[in-house]
Amino acid sequence: MRMKSSPKLRPNGWDALVAGAVLALAVLCGTLAWAGGGDSGALTAVVSVDGEVTERVALSGLTAPEERTYTHNGYTLHVTFTAESAQVTASDCPTQDCVHTGAITRSGQSIVCLPGRIVIQMEGGGDSDGPDLVIG
Amino acid sequence: MKLSTKQLTLCAVLTAMALALSYLENFFPLSLAIPIPGIKLGLANIVTLFALYALGAGQALLILVARCLLGAVFAGNVNALIFSLLGGVTAMLVMIGLSRLRGLSVYGVSVGGAAAHNCGQVAAAVLTLGNTAPLYYLPVLLGVSLFTGALTGLIAACLFRALGHTKLWEV
Repeated sequence: MRMKSSPKLRPNGWDALVAGAVLALAVLCGTLAWAGGGDSGALTAVVSVDGEVTERVALSGLTAPEERTYTHNGYTLHVTFTAESAQVTASDCPTQDCVHTGAITRSGQSIVCLPGRIVIQMEGGGDSDGPDLVIG
Repeated sequence: MKLSTKQLTLCAVLTAMALALSYLENFFPLSLAIPIPGIKLGLANIVTLFALYALGAGQALLILVARCLLGAVFAGNVNALIFSLLGGVTAMLVMIGLSRLRGLSVYGVSVGGAAAHNCGQVAAAVLTLGNTAPLYYLPVLLGVSLFTGALTGLIAACLFRALGHTKLWEV
């Protein structure tokens, strides 16, 4: 029995090219994600459960922190909304990634709970109502 | 696909090793440092990479599918199967293509595979959730795949060097 093929074991310029292509793809995706946030209108947290939007929480209207609970797929998420942010404070899902994500504050950011199939995504919050530039 | 007893045994041992590595990486939770669902070192990719060069694409794919199926059964989480299968098969297809490019070393193939694995998993998340929010994680996941891919490439290169001093292939 013989090896099907013998790999090169030292990194070279072609490997750097692959790494560069991956990095370029990361930057491109990052730029698209950053630009595609749709930051017009008031800052809103959009809650989706199993692909369906179930709630839109207008954060700018909140005067005090508000906690809401979402249950799906056998898991319960406790979410705290403030005027500037949304954060999963507790969850009984096994991975706890949604809790570790922390607070999201900017349009385009999201908290994903894969086991619970619950997504909280930020929209709006841009300064589109204000002046573009103030001179003097 | 017709396998000799030695090939079948090697496939079984490699599948067991891949499962053990998948379990082992639970002790290094990368998600504590970078809180993104599904982010991990991808140590099982060392086995895939080894099998691809040592046994060929067919048997490497067989080991991958067996690892994904058994991993889902042992974890008791069939929902995770779509993530591991879509990520694993995407990575495998990219690594098969890259391994045929003569200039690339095991590092380049590994980095390409790690990036493809993350793309496949994000696609699985988009399909499962019915929401494009997971796409937001892709830039970070691709950036991380540069390091995790280089790490698995380094371990695979060390493995191939070490195996050069054994008589495994002479039997």
